[in-house]
Amino acid sequence: MYFLTGWPRRLLCPLKSEEEPFHIQPSSQRFYFALVSETQISIWFSRPSVLIVSYIESVKAAAQFGFYQKAEWKPDDSMIAVATAKGYILLFDVLGGGDEKYLYEPVYPKGSPRVKVTPGYKEEQCAPALSLEMKKPVDLEAPITSLQSLQENLLVCTADGYLHVLHWDGQGSNGRKAICLTTIPFSLDLQSARAGPALDLEGVYICCMEYCVTLDGFAVVLSDGRLGFITPLSNTIIADQLQGVWAADVSDGTCVAVNNKYRLMAFGCASGSVLVYMIDTTTGSMQLSHKLELTPKHYPDIYNKTGAVKVICWSPDCSVAMVTWECGGLSLWSVFGAHLICTLGEDFAHRSDGTKKEPLRISSMSWGAEGYHLWVLPSNQGRRRKEEHSMEEDSPPHPFLRAGILQFHFIKSALTVNPCTSNQEHVLLHGEDRLYLTCGDPTQIHSTSDAHPHTHLHPHDGSPLHQPAHPDSSLSQGLSTLLGHKHWHVVQIHSTYLESNWPIRFAAIDTAGQCMAVAGRRGFAHYSLFTRKWKLFGNITQEQNMTVTGGLAWWNDFVVVACYNFTDQQEQLRLYQRSSNLDNAFASVTKLHADTLLLNVFRDMIILFRADCSICLYSIEKRNEGLGQSASVELLQEVSMSRYIPHPALVVSVTLTSVRTETGITLKAPQQACTAESIMLNLAGQLIMLQRDRSGPQVREKETPAINKKLLPFSPPVVLAQCVENVWTTCRSNKKKRHLLEALWLSCGEAGMKVWLPLFPRDHRKPHSFLSRRIMLPFHINIYPLAVLFEDALVLGATNETVLYDGLQGSSEPLEALFPYCTVERTSQIYLHHILRQLLVRNLGEQALMLAQSCAGLPYFPHVMELMVHVVLEEEATSREPIPDPLLPTVAKFITEFPLFLQTIVHCARKTEYALWNYLFAAVGNPKDLFEECLMAQDLDTAASYLIILQNMEVPAVSRQHATLLFNTALEQGKWDLCRHMIRFLKAIGSGEMDTPPPTPSTQEPSSTGAFEFFRNRSISLSQSADSISTGKFNLQKTFSMPTGSSPKGADCPENMYIDMMLWRHARHLLEQVRLRDLGCFSAQLGFELIGWLCRERNRVARVEDFVLALKKLHEDFLWPFPVIPVGSLSSPLKNGRCRPVLSTQLLKSQSADSLLNSDMDTAPPLAVPMNHTWTDSLGQRSKDTDTASSAHSNQNSPQTYDAFLSLVTNKVEEYSIGSATDLTETSSMVDGDWMMVDENSSTLSLSQAELEHISMELANKGPHKSQVQLRYLLHVFMEAGCLEWCVVIGLILRDTNVIKQVISFLDNPEVPAETVQSIRKGLLAVDTWASSDSLGYKPFLNLIQPQLQHLMESTSEQVQPEAFQPATQSSKLSGSDGLGGATAPRAEDSRGGAAPLGLTLPALEPAGGYNRTPSEDCPSEQSEVQGEEEGTYDCTLS
Amino acid sequence: MIEVVASMARGPVFLAGELMECLITFTNPMSHLSTSASSEMLAWASAQIHCQFHASENRVALPTRGNKQDVQAESDTVLIPSRGERGQCVLDTPPKILFCDLRLDPGERKTYSYSEVVPVDGPPSFRGQAVKYVYKLTIGCQRVNSPIKLLRVPFRVLVLQGMPEPPFPQDEEVSPSNPFLEEEEVSRRDARPLERALDMLMVTTSRRSPHMFNITNTRGKVAKFCIFKTVYRLGEEIIGTFNFSEGDIPCLQYSVSLQSEEEIQDQYQRRPGQAVSVTGHGRHLESCLHTASSHFSLPIPLNVTPGFSTDVVALRWRLHFEFVTAREPMEAPTVLQNQAEVTIWAGAEHVDVDTFSWNLPIKVLPTNPALASYVSQFTGTNRIDI
Repeated sequence: MYFLTGWPRRLLCPLKSEEEPFHIQPSSQRFYFALVSETQISIWFSRPSVLIVSYIESVKAAAQFGFYQKAEWKPDDSMIAVATAKGYILLFDVLGGGDEKYLYEPVYPKGSPRVKVTPGYKEEQCAPALSLEMKKPVDLEAPITSLQSLQENLLVCTADGYLHVLHWDGQGSNGRKAICLTTIPFSLDLQSARAGPALDLEGVYICCMEYCVTLDGFAVVLSDGRLGFITPLSNTIIADQLQGVWAADVSDGTCVAVNNKYRLMAFGCASGSVLVYMIDTTTGSMQLSHKLELTPKHYPDIYNKTGAVKVICWSPDCSVAMVTWECGGLSLWSVFGAHLICTLGEDFAHRSDGTKKEPLRISSMSWGAEGYHLWVLPSNQGRRRKEEHSMEEDSPPHPFLRAGILQFHFIKSALTVNPCTSNQEHVLLHGEDRLYLTCGDPTQIHSTSDAHPHTHLHPHDGSPLHQPAHPDSSLSQGLSTLLGHKHWHVVQIHSTYLESNWPIRFAAIDTAGQCMAVAGRRGFAHYSLFTRKWKLFGNITQEQNMTVTGGLAWWNDFVVVACYNFTDQQEQLRLYQRSSNLDNAFASVTKLHADTLLLNVFRDMIILFRADCSICLYSIEKRNEGLGQSASVELLQEVSMSRYIPHPALVVSVTLTSVRTETGITLKAPQQACTAESIMLNLAGQLIMLQRDRSGPQVREKETPAINKKLLPFSPPVVLAQCVENVWTTCRSNKKKRHLLEALWLSCGEAGMKVWLPLFPRDHRKPHSFLSRRIMLPFHINIYPLAVLFEDALVLGATNETVLYDGLQGSSEPLEALFPYCTVERTSQIYLHHILRQLLVRNLGEQALMLAQSCAGLPYFPHVMELMVHVVLEEEATSREPIPDPLLPTVAKFITEFPLFLQTIVHCARKTEYALWNYLFAAVGNPKDLFEECLMAQDLDTAASYLIILQNMEVPAVSRQHATLLFNTALEQGKWDLCRHMIRFLKAIGSGEMDTPPPTPSTQEPSSTGAFEFFRNRSISLSQSADSISTGKFNLQKTFSMPTGSSPKGADCPENMYIDMMLWRHARHLLEQVRLRDLGCFSAQLGFELIGWLCRERNRVARVEDFVLALKKLHEDFLWPFPVIPVGSLSSPLKNGRCRPVLSTQLLKSQSADSLLNSDMDTAPPLAVPMNHTWTDSLGQRSKDTDTASSAHSNQNSPQTYDAFLSLVTNKVEEYSIGSATDLTETSSMVDGDWMMVDENSSTLSLSQAELEHISMELANKGPHKSQVQLRYLLHVFMEAGCLEWCVVIGLILRDTNVIKQVISFLDNPEVPAETVQSIRKGLLAVDTWASSDSLGYKPFLNLIQPQLQHLMESTSEQVQPEAFQPATQSSKLSGSDGLGGATAPRAEDSRGGAAPLGLTLPALEPAGGYNRTPSEDCPSEQSEVQGEEEGTYDCTLS
Repeated sequence: MIEVVASMARGPVFLAGELMECLITFTNPMSHLSTSASSEMLAWASAQIHCQFHASENRVALPTRGNKQDVQAESDTVLIPSRGERGQCVLDTPPKILFCDLRLDPGERKTYSYSEVVPVDGPPSFRGQAVKYVYKLTIGCQRVNSPIKLLRVPFRVLVLQGMPEPPFPQDEEVSPSNPFLEEEEVSRRDARPLERALDMLMVTTSRRSPHMFNITNTRGKVAKFCIFKTVYRLGEEIIGTFNFSEGDIPCLQYSVSLQSEEEIQDQYQRRPGQAVSVTGHGRHLESCLHTASSHFSLPIPLNVTPGFSTDVVALRWRLHFEFVTAREPMEAPTVLQNQAEVTIWAGAEHVDVDTFSWNLPIKVLPTNPALASYVSQFTGTNRIDI
């Protein structure tokens, strides 16, 4: 396909003249262009675009002949015929084309350091020297209206109704014939009786005519505007052997252009539209194929004001037509009417400031070689200037101007000339000097999509850093980058090759998209993206001795070319290996018997279409020969097509495919799916399929040796489709996506695309006899398709984009100001919804389901579903008439087959007008039910989306009820964003709509797409706290006003109270279940004032019932490893696997299972843990003295606790204050410092191997830093709220003696309730018991806090009621024996891991002196050092 | 045998300061059904990014190396990522341990994710004529009592020089933060440097600032040249327009080349005043004899290194123009119609010409690394069997 690029180039005639050229005529190869002005004919060269020669008529001759009007070249470029106004044909000889004379050859100064810019400049960059010589003129005695070259003849139409046939070389009148138009019989078709000469042709003449080789006739426009087609009935044009047909009902024709490849006649009309006709082969009548018209939708202000069609130009490869109108402008259309460009709109027509530009008026235009350029002669511009000039000053009435020519540049799809299979999954465009290819390799994407499941398949492989969600996101990201960005990879064609072989004719890319090959006039060159290098023929002679004729393709590592060898004068098929030098020595050459027109590759087969209308199949085989590889080619089969193909030039493409009409066969043997089953032939837009004939006696493959396997003949052709521009199939197979891979994709111009989809019986049942095996489904897409990504269900294309550069350069009016800069951008489109819908319409739901399921993994599959609902909904809900058989319920039912049903429906609803909701939900079900389904499916976000629907469709009570439901679920699942939204939502409902009737739709914003935008915009007047909620900052509330403060607010707004109640309930719930981490997140995310709430709950839910359970739960929640003791010191629990060093394996265990485990393990009776006073600082105290005011304030709620704290603070000196993040980080850094200490100490103390190991394990088993910070934070919160039990638990898990010490010291305070003290004591004893039996790693730490524990025992024994002694006494009973063991056990063992169960060492046995006794032991000594360094309270605490 | 595969999901190109992620998969390829299958052990594996610098001896004079030993005992557990590489390691990140004591049962596979911020202060990947900077991710693994095996994954680093430093640690600007909030923000913050860099790139390179040049030589005015901007991203096209219609001197041909200049800084030059190495990256050549106005568009390849400078080398970009102009000014001849005789005008066979050249410095900046990944010579995936 063709795309405009860059700016046009402006050529300037070197001669000043008062005339302006108005007609341009290319020579047959388009290397020369003849420009005609009134008395002047000039010949320009194509590259370089320079004027070669100009012939200016003498005044006398001009007077005799009249002004020049048109020109026509003889096919061999040796003559030009010029028609003049007075009815003369002037024949010019073009001389000098052959000899080696060149123009504008640069002569570099002698001794110039740089002699030439390019090697080979002289030959290639110069124009050949030509001269013009007039021969005898031929007088036709009537004004000439049309001129057409026809091999040896020149056809001339004159205004007196005659058609003259002149011989190019015919001197004089002997080679001359004249046919009167009135003698030609015209009818509506060729079959209806040979109508006599049309009587109404009197006085009518042909005003425009073009000969179509492949139709063998003339398309004519008559002077009365009728359109016709004249065929000679014999081989020569003789008067009474002509027959004409009319186009029905047209009388405003202006011009005509024929398309030889597709057998089309495009007639321009005065109305501005172009009618494209074809000839019905059976009746011979003219049939309208399609129209080229600007649509009112895209060109509202110009579509009917273009004036008559002025010129139509088919591109040299016949794949596009350029059209211009009287009012100017260029528009480009594909052969079957897909609109590509029009310069009458947008940036072409408007400046960046919005003002309108004068459209470019065109007097004549012509495509350049290979369609890379369009030469355009602008009209009026010069004349307008002349007028201006003449108005200004009269002295020079005809100023001499240099005429301008515009050259528009185009790039085109490689498929237009070289439609070979390997190009089909990549977009490859070629411009005059460069290739554009899509960046990003779809196969790469496939490989990642294939690769990523492995990470999913092993979710339990236990790798700690596993991130299952990641590959998915990277995949979709990869694909979206692939599709989203509009970059091309631009490869400049090697200048050496280009300069000597311009223009590039063919381009091909390999299947992987890594290698490209281009072929110009002679030879070819190839490029590899990997090496970024071009490979050219090493031997220029070899290059110049061959020319690619039938195209080129890649087969694995080989370039396959069909070429003509000039030295041997024969047609050859050659294969060159990519990796070896480009040299004939490394090529495999096969002689061909006729000219090749097309070439294609299918798997290991080459398919050739030859000029004798036969198709040849060759097999290719790779061979290893000595050093390198070579390929050998063998003829497999030759199929003559001459019966079906009227003219070889009509064949657009030829492909081997594995497509068959019966899918049943391929179903049985999927491994055969990719054999060459059929030939697809695009014959002038008609897609013809020839299948292998399997009806004959089948030869079992086993019986025939594979080598001389006789290939099956082909059945007669079947026409599959009309108006086909391109065909895509793949030879890959994928069992999961058979629908997409075995389908045949067609692009059909303005009709969009078609897919020939295979239908498979479900579950491999026998196919229904009534079910056809394939179905042709048309669908519209908005882009011009250039490649089909089969597995991805995507079509890739390209569109022209424009960038305005005007206003940059002042008033000089350069081209940049007249035209926008054109770029080509890649586009892509999904089409699946069209196909699914079509299948559903045709009651092929089962097929649709199979197809959809095969694509459900695509990242944009949800989007496909949504689109489908949306399109059907819009169509059916807005329909004026009732629809007898609505599709929407079917579509809805179809989507319920997919898990994303709920989501699809709600997304679609939210993108649709409110007015359509009733229709939608009538078809898909009640939104309330859908909401509940979402909740059941735990899809909260979707449920939230439904809430908006509910809110609009139901009474507030209902939506509130549902919102509450959702809020609670969201809280439970920790969907904080959703929770915040729900709070807002509930408040919004409460703020205004409690008692009002359901909102009327008009007050809503029905089309709002953003989920909660609607509520955000609404004033949330009553909830100041809602703002703080969303800030998401650490907001440790020192004021405990919230509980009390909220009640007055709550009086205003029951909603706030209601929400608070829910939040409290949830917090209670979390705490009851010991989900501290969740509690932390909950409070942080929703701005829940934890401290205030905890204060109130201190003696209720904020107690710890089971310390061991809580500890374990914390370990689990915070990924905090259980402390480990060295293997050497105690092995049995580790070996039998009961004590796991790493907790991750337990992560998913439910709580009940956990407790079960506990009861299992807790075989030992609960024991008391002795404690020590090592640390006297308390975390909680610090905050107190920083914020006495607030704590004083807090006294209102719980005065006793805070009094107690205050009293303790005074003797502590703390540098940092809890309550700001900085000190939290300091805390953590302090803990990090501990590590350092340990290290230093251990190194200085030269510990034993076992001890070292122990330390390293201790270090390794510290939890993640983040958890540590979080735990510290919670610790602080609990301290502040006075929840001492929790402080102890966290202190234990952090193994921070400070904390324990501090808490225990608080317990002395009389304000602390006795049950708290009791509970802590009990808890610690339980932990010790548990540690002794199940988590020996805790033992060293418990030993460490023995003094504290001891202190606790002492102090509590005095305060607590006698019953409370029960556990203690029990423990002391047991401790007797254990204590003995502890006493007798070696010191080192004690301290290291608490190997012996000495945790319950009685105060009497181990009186705080543990450290003194064992100064060499790591932990205590080191900690006391820290103590000593940081504060001077060491002594007093020890004592 | 253990198969180690390292794969960068995002592609092998990164912007300095960006977080690189690499999934490293260790597989015991034996089927658990096979009889000879046994579980495999690896003592440890660690990963580290390093940048190798290599300079051509005859262009760059480097100060003699320090006593840094490039020796690694085969059985040692010391990982020197650049072991066995040419040149010197100019930059490395701290090694990260992936695991210790990995045991893989037959058929078992474990994947570890390595992530590291690509150092901001390093040079970009560059393969010049005198100097090379090559980035690699090196994964070292060792079996007990075996030598260390290194798996190298080369990747490309783009550096956006002149990026303003982020306004100090991001954490501090969100003062007191609740540690429970952090979790979600971490991922967001990781994406930020890239976003910021891309934003800055877009802003700098999408601004149009047309520059006009009157091209003249000793004999007169040749053309007017306009370039719409001078700062480009990789992969962009450089567009310039020429207007020859106002020139006095006919121009037969012009060419524009995109060139990079690699200059060794003075103190490291092997010979004082040694020439700058110039490399061409694309060229537009056009005959423009009878042309009034034309334009060129030169694509900047995605694989080239944007301009940068280190203490050793500086890379600059320029457009190099060459004009072939006629020596004599040529006034367009006037053709008079209505002459008594037929006039035939033909072009001159020879034109005496001069060639002139001109350089215009431009700036080439990096682009979105994801885009550059598509045409990278690296795959971002590598494997080794141990």
